[in-house]
Amino acid sequence: METDVLIIGGGPAGLAAAIETATRGLDVTIVDESSSLGGQLCQQTQLIRPLPSVYQPMRGFELAKVLTEQINDFTVGTLLNHRVIGLYADGSVGLSDEEKVFPVKAKKIVVATGAAEQAVAFPKWTLPGIITIGAAQTLVNRDFVMPGKEAVIVGSSDFALDVASQLLEVGVEVKGIVEKNPAAAAREKEKTDALIGRGIPFYFNSFIKEARGNGQVEEIDIEVNGEILTVSADVVCIDGGRSPILDSFYQLGCSFGYQKELGGWIPQYNRQFKTDRENVFLAGNAAGISQQGALLLTGMIAGISICEDLQTIRSGEAEEIRDALWEELKLSEYKDVWEGRTKHIEKFSSPVLKDQFIS
Amino acid sequence: METSYETIVIGGGVVGNGIAFHLSERYKEGVLVLDKKYPMSGTSGSTQAWVWVHNKTPSWYAEFNMYSAELYPYLSKKIGDVEYKRTGGLSPFFNESDREKAKQLAESYRKIGIKIKVLSREKVLEKEPFMNPEVAGATYSSIDGNVNPFRLIDMYMRASKKNGVHYSTYNKVTEIQKQDGKYIVVSDQATYVCKNLILAGGTWSRELGEMLGIKIPVNQLRGQILVSEPLKPFLNFTISGLRQANNGEVLMGYSMEQAGFNRATTLDVIQETANMAVRYVPALGKAKIVRAFSGIRAMPEDGFPILGKVPGFENLYVAATHSGVTLSPLIGTLITELILDGETSIPIDRYSLSRFG
Repeated sequence: METDVLIIGGGPAGLAAAIETATRGLDVTIVDESSSLGGQLCQQTQLIRPLPSVYQPMRGFELAKVLTEQINDFTVGTLLNHRVIGLYADGSVGLSDEEKVFPVKAKKIVVATGAAEQAVAFPKWTLPGIITIGAAQTLVNRDFVMPGKEAVIVGSSDFALDVASQLLEVGVEVKGIVEKNPAAAAREKEKTDALIGRGIPFYFNSFIKEARGNGQVEEIDIEVNGEILTVSADVVCIDGGRSPILDSFYQLGCSFGYQKELGGWIPQYNRQFKTDRENVFLAGNAAGISQQGALLLTGMIAGISICEDLQTIRSGEAEEIRDALWEELKLSEYKDVWEGRTKHIEKFSSPVLKDQFIS
Repeated sequence: METSYETIVIGGGVVGNGIAFHLSERYKEGVLVLDKKYPMSGTSGSTQAWVWVHNKTPSWYAEFNMYSAELYPYLSKKIGDVEYKRTGGLSPFFNESDREKAKQLAESYRKIGIKIKVLSREKVLEKEPFMNPEVAGATYSSIDGNVNPFRLIDMYMRASKKNGVHYSTYNKVTEIQKQDGKYIVVSDQATYVCKNLILAGGTWSRELGEMLGIKIPVNQLRGQILVSEPLKPFLNFTISGLRQANNGEVLMGYSMEQAGFNRATTLDVIQETANMAVRYVPALGKAKIVRAFSGIRAMPEDGFPILGKVPGFENLYVAATHSGVTLSPLIGTLITELILDGETSIPIDRYSLSRFG
């Protein structure tokens, strides 16, 4: 199989890159391991903002629909339930549908594999009922399953507080929010205030000492300022933050750098969102954890850069659009994330980790 | 920091560690092992780790491998459990026409005391019920087996350190000079001086030799290995190309490519390897592959070990070989004898670097 642009990951960033490239006449193929496009947006019922100026603020699943509809009118092939498992010697990407493996030869590749949630370990953390915050949201919003009756949430990021509200809406009792720092991690203070207003206890300077239960979690010990508080719960949702999914970059031989503000190790890339491997671009959380609006912008920049490389857009015009998108990106993400990204791009030609397959 | 040593071993792989440990049994101080990365990060950590004798040719080379395999049980007693298992080795063949060749191999081995049986199809399937029923027969030797390479090197290092060996890792050697009958070894972290110098750089032997103007003709050969999900124990023997590890994972590898130091894996070879494995053991068609990795093997130009004194250089030794896991205890023993006694208990002249002229 051959294609102009192979996009690995059909989430918001991958779709944004697909829209930019497909609308400019390129033949685009999106591969995604799940059974639908939209990635994590599909189960997000919270309002997503800010979004790039071309979109009105809307809920996550609505955005997934809007993005997917935009590619329908163009030559975009979608390979759902397929995953990238490796590379052939000639550089073709190997896809598998669990039955067969076949090569795809692409002029350009966009890696938009997103991010994975991280867990926070504590004694008995493997008991059933202890799940990540994202898993709790997926159960409620995608599968319409209540994850439990009494929940404790570990971590207090904006996302964790969004999910806390969603759990409350479907009738789950939120017994408390445990945060190791002295204040909530959420940047939007109104989210914290709203939950406090509904009587949800926040335990600051606190952590889970231990979980207990027979066959599944039944109660947990929270250490609050040196004292143990035992709380009954049948679901514990852990928000350990997210880190970029790097497997495809690793297989492609990309260089990496460490940028704490962007989620840790990430591939090196330049202003075009191009890695140091020829013809390999990237977008979205895989290029650094940020907000939904920013993720779309990174996909758009990668898409424009590919169009420039494949000459479906004049270089001068591409540069203009890219500059405008970068300006918007600056306004769409938190200052520390933006600064981390700027620093990361400066290190493009001096990566910390490179040539990892060379002994 | 100590920079003066009696003996320095460059290379902390299975060969360098084998030498360091055996040296440390006989003298307690003054040995340093230098590694450019960390032991197990190179060839020795990316291998199926067979301890394999049978079907190595010619028979004198098989004999050399057999001596080393015979040392393994004793080695385990000295350094601890390295998960050495003498499973026996099966080399299946699928054409009846190969039986004659197999018989000739068995005959040539018989003369040097290695017992190899040529098995009928029925006998193979009785021993290894999951083998492809289309098999025509197999050669079988009871001396073959495998070892856990990570445990092997870890236990070598623990035992060596206990005996006073020093290790310096992430410390690449960049320059070697000969001065006043001593060797000056310049590395990333320090400059060392020693009387005896042992080049055990594996795949990097050629580069090490060049530092002293010596040609050590070792090339790189890439092997790609697939790892299955853990499966219930179902393979009894070490079979050509595959074996089942203690944790149930099946390791599969048949490939040899020239790719320099590039350790990437390619789906072309991965698919070929999977097809080969399924040809040998059809049930593997149902197994999930969880991982693939490449190892860069050291391959001397004529395929045989390069061992012993370096001609024209006093107190300089080289140990560079393929099959390092199999040969490690023997090479460690022989190089120790050569350094401390001036001669070896079995002749190694045939493996001298001088054969390359």
